[in-house]
This record gives sequence, C-alpha cells and structure tokens, in this order.
Amino acid sequence: MACYPEHSFMNNKNEFPESNRRDFLKNASLASMMAMIGGVELKADEPAKAAAGASADLTPIPKPPPINVGVIGLNEWGREILRQLALLPSDPLHGAHVVAICDNYPAALRRAGNQDAPTAQKYDDYTKLLADPNVQAVIIATPTGTHKEIALAALAAGKHVYCEAPLANTIDDAKAIAKAGRDAYKVVFQPGLQQRSHPQIDFLLPFIRSGALGKYVMVRAQWHKNTSWYRTAPGPEREAALNWRLHNATSTGLIGEEGIHQIDSICCFLKGRPEAVTGFSSTIKAYQDNREVPDTVQAIFEFPQGVNFFHDLTICNSYEKAYEVYLGTESAMMMRDFKAWLFKEGDAHNLGWEVYARHDLFYNETGIALVANASKQTTLAGSAQSFNPYDHEPLYYALEAFTANAANQTTDVKDYQDNYPDADAQALIDYLKGLKRKSAATWRDGLDATVLAIAANQAALKKQKLTLDKKWFEI
Amino acid sequence: MRILPWSTAALALWVASPLHLGAQTRYNPQPSGTSVRIDGTSTAHDWEMEGTVIGGFLEIGAGASLDKAQGTPAGLQGDKLPAKAHVIIPVSKIHSKADHLPEVMDGLMQKNMKATDFPIIEFTLKELTFKSPHAAGEAFHFDADGELVIAGATNKVNFPITIEPLEGGKIKVSGTAAVKMTAYGVEPPTPNFGLGLMKCGDDVKILFDWTLKEKK
Repeated sequence: MACYPEHSFMNNKNEFPESNRRDFLKNASLASMMAMIGGVELKADEPAKAAAGASADLTPIPKPPPINVGVIGLNEWGREILRQLALLPSDPLHGAHVVAICDNYPAALRRAGNQDAPTAQKYDDYTKLLADPNVQAVIIATPTGTHKEIALAALAAGKHVYCEAPLANTIDDAKAIAKAGRDAYKVVFQPGLQQRSHPQIDFLLPFIRSGALGKYVMVRAQWHKNTSWYRTAPGPEREAALNWRLHNATSTGLIGEEGIHQIDSICCFLKGRPEAVTGFSSTIKAYQDNREVPDTVQAIFEFPQGVNFFHDLTICNSYEKAYEVYLGTESAMMMRDFKAWLFKEGDAHNLGWEVYARHDLFYNETGIALVANASKQTTLAGSAQSFNPYDHEPLYYALEAFTANAANQTTDVKDYQDNYPDADAQALIDYLKGLKRKSAATWRDGLDATVLAIAANQAALKKQKLTLDKKWFEI
Repeated sequence: MRILPWSTAALALWVASPLHLGAQTRYNPQPSGTSVRIDGTSTAHDWEMEGTVIGGFLEIGAGASLDKAQGTPAGLQGDKLPAKAHVIIPVSKIHSKADHLPEVMDGLMQKNMKATDFPIIEFTLKELTFKSPHAAGEAFHFDADGELVIAGATNKVNFPITIEPLEGGKIKVSGTAAVKMTAYGVEPPTPNFGLGLMKCGDDVKILFDWTLKEKK
C-alpha cells in the first residue's frame, strides 16, 4: 500500500483530498446499519465474511497454490516469523509452505528446525537456500547490516522477498535494496513494515483522510518498554553476533530498529514526508555490556505546514507502552494496540455515526471507538483494554499479504507470459500495476522509512537538527 | 477401389484446405487493446466482470487477407474466410467491477465455474462467414461459428464479430456472445451481502476486444 505515492502532503489547506466526509459516513453508516441488523461483529479484517451476514456460507475464493517460503535468520524474530507463518490458513489453496530455513549458527538452525519448521530443508548458508529451486519466496530476518547482500542475491535469483525493516543501516544500502526491489517487477518485494498490511490501517485511512480530525495540529508517538537489548550467549563470538543492535556500526538504534514502524505509520497517515528531524538521546541505565546505542531517544520530525511529530522511545520505563496520537483542530485520534479512539473537541462537527459507536472513558475524556463494527450492541461488554477487534498480530497480516501477493504474482506473470508471448517487459509491468493486491509496504515505503530512521538516529546521536536531503530518497 | 481409412481421408482433406498450404498468416494476442467483459443481470441490479487477458491465436489461410479499403476480404471461399482461431481466457483473471465487496462475486463465479478444475474458458473457431456488404474503411463483419468450453462443458455457439485491420500488422477482433450459464452447468451466482440473497440471471453477455499482431 503506497499511501503517498507522489509525496503530496495533504492539500494546500492542510486537508485531505482523496476522499470526503460523505464517502466515509456512507461507509460507516452501512457498517453500523449491518451490525445493528444482524448483531454481527463486522471486523475490518474480514469485510466479506462479516458483510455476508451470519447465515451466509461465504464462498472461499479459489486461490493459487501456496507459495513455498524460505526463512533466513532464525533468532528471536525469525522464529516468530515461522510461528506466524504456521498460523496462516492451512487449506491447500492458501497460506504458505515453509520449505527451507537458514542460519549460519548451528544451534539456532537446529532449534528452529526441531521446534518451528520440522519438515523444512535446513541450510547453513543463504546462497544454498537461494539455489534451492523449490524456494519461491524468502523472508530475511537477519541483522540489519546483512540485508543488502542477501536481498540483492535473492531478487537476482528470482525469489519474492520480504525484507525486515529497516532495510539497511546506511542510506546507500537502503537505496540499493529498494532499487533492486523496484526493478524486479516479476516478483514481490515487501519491506517488513507491518502496519501497512494491518486491517486497522485500511479502515482508518479513509476516515483520517475524510477530514474528521480537521486540520492537523501535531502528532505524538511513544514506544516505551522496560527491557534490555542485551542477549546472553555461550561465547564472545556468538555474543557479539547476537548483540549487533547495541553498536552504532551495525544498528540504527532504538528509533531505527523499533521506532521505524511508528515513523512509517505516521508518514502514511499524514500522507507526506518530514523535511527535518531534531534528535536527543541519552543512556540512563548503567550497563556492563559495552553498548554504544542510547537507551532513551527523543526526536521531533518537522512535516510541511508546521505539523510536528514528537517521538519518544525508551527501554528504561514501560509507562503507557506504545501509542500514537493525532491531534487535529476538530478531534484527536489515539491508536493503541491496534485499536483507535476519537476524542472530539466540544465545537467539532457531528459525524452522525458516532451515536452508534462504542464510547470508552479515559480518565475524564470520552473516546469513540473507531472500529468498523463499533455498535453498542456488539461491543459494550468488556473494558477498553480487553476489547480486541483483531485476531492476529501485525506480523501475521504482513506475512499473509506477502504470501498471498507472491502467489498471485507468480500465477499472474505466468498467465500473462503464456498468453502474450510477444509482449514486451513494459507491457507486463503496466499489467501488473493494474492488478489488485493485498495492502503491503512497497519499495518506496521501505526506502523512505529506512532513510528517516537512519537520519533520526544520526540526529539523536549527535543531538542536533538534520535537514532531510531529497536526494537521500531518490534512486 | 481401396477405401482409405476415415482418419487418413480426414487428414488428406485437412492438409488440402487453404489454411494448411503453408502460407497462412498467424496472429498472436497483444495486451494493449485486449479486454473481456461479462455483463449480467440480477434481482438487484446489473453486474459486470472484466479481464484483460485473452490468449490463443488466430490464423488466416493462405491467399486470404483483410484490406479495409477493399469491398470484400481477399481469398474468400464462397462467403467463408479460411481461418483458425483458438481463444483462451483464464477464469481467475476476470474480476468483478463492483465497488462493494468485489471479492464475493469473484469467489462465487470462480467456484461456480469450477475454476480449480477448469481454469480457462476456451473457444475454438470452426467457421467464419463474411457478412456483406462491407463499407470501405470500416471493420469487416463476420459470423463466427465454433465451440465454447466453459467449466468443462462444450456447446456450439454462433455470434457476430468484427475484424478491424490496424496499423503495424495488428488486427482487432471484437464481438459479443450471448451465453446461458446453465447450458454449461454453471449455476448463476447468488451472492449474499447481508441484506438478503441476490440472484443473478442465467443469461450473460461476453463482450470482447481482442487485439493481435501478425507473427513475422
């Protein structure tokens, strides 16, 4: 999902040109009405099933065969990817087959092979995995600095590629990966920016762009956790390999490795890119592990037209954990745990549908739940904290989009080439651009977010303002 | 007199036909200017599905040619234009144009057309009859007779087409075929969008523009 393909920051009135309030109200009213009629929980991630009603035997759409996936990098995140892949629908026409796994550390390979992917072929070298003709798609979950070599080789081998974010820890490497992803038009290249595939985003984007918040005032986001990035290991060599996040040469720091997802999400909602970033950083706790990266970071991103995004991250305190708040002249919207609430100003226009929506109390503010089915009938039970409109983790939706899009891309390219043997490459590119795909991050999203993350980390380390050069985003 | 086996006789006739004298012109499909649309009705509203992939080939027999400036195609045998065509439309590449939940209609149509077992719609041309008079400068009008295969069921069909010669060795074949879904064992879809069943009508029209280019 490219939220802002042309980087048009709103319109010249700091408003949102793509849809209007009436469009949103029309959809929201339909959703509310359906929920009232059937008492059906209409989740944004299952629109067809929900809209079809309780009595409908919704027909599964015949899909291409599952894609054969190889996972490279089997530490914590790589194993989480394997677990989420295993949760994808297992019917023969859907999901993914994990046919290969790879890690150059034998114990990690053995552990993942035994526990998470028992039937997969095991490789200790990614080049061997890429040479396996049975592997159609690869997921790269290795340290950030190793992505470029693996991603370029995988794309050159004709594999679909899901590359974890940030794409790289240098702008040049990020550009090289993004360019290779853009140019490999026959396959899917998806940066691991999970929010882009989350159904909550698909639901909220038209709402935000309908102008329900009024003019943007500012954005605030935080990522708070009480943890240490340090990982114990049986020997110094393994310890160094595992703790690559702690050193500036191999890591993009807290704002790069963790904050990138919020940065990307906010750029998506604001439909633009900041022009400058000012950073601050400090190491509060006393560590005995020779780490270089700060444990606490703040950054201010300056978007056009005076809209600033305040971002703070720490691993020293978990208070309020992670959330994003968008402040507008009419309302504020808070996104938290992939739930969202609207807080209207006293003089804000009535939207109409909010009468039917769930209202939750936050201290002395009333938040209107922004969920497609947020009718009183279906959502009054439980607290704001226990109310969980989505069944899966964000990673699940990102992998679902990747495997489905890769499977469809494979058959679409084959069908096209079979039926149009004389057509040139540009005709195929044009054809593929016109096809519907599940929402997912593009090479452009990955490059922009990575450059912003790298720049923010540099600004934070130097505690200075950094003007963002447009050339950093060009390939 | 020695009687030739049936298959040998048929082969002799086939080889002797103008299509197989070794100088026929073959055309391959081009993506630009190619589309197929299915128009249907229902108890609620009309519906459309659309695709942009039509594969296969068209061959025009030796001595036959289409020049828009001429009153009739060259090489006609009586009123028949010697031609062969095999048309392939992947079912999975035809999608609903509905604004609301198009995936529901896609899924139902693919299921009812048994797309897993029969992933393509096929048409094999048997006869191409020239319809005169032809106005110089316009597309040629023909009646196409052939066999249409949908969901594994075959029926003889007849429908009007036009063939328009274009620049650069290209031609555009356009036409509309009226089809009853049940004639092919395809149950008309009954999508449920939550406010009651919508029953699609049995009759649909398949409209197509198929652009091809001469293979050199």
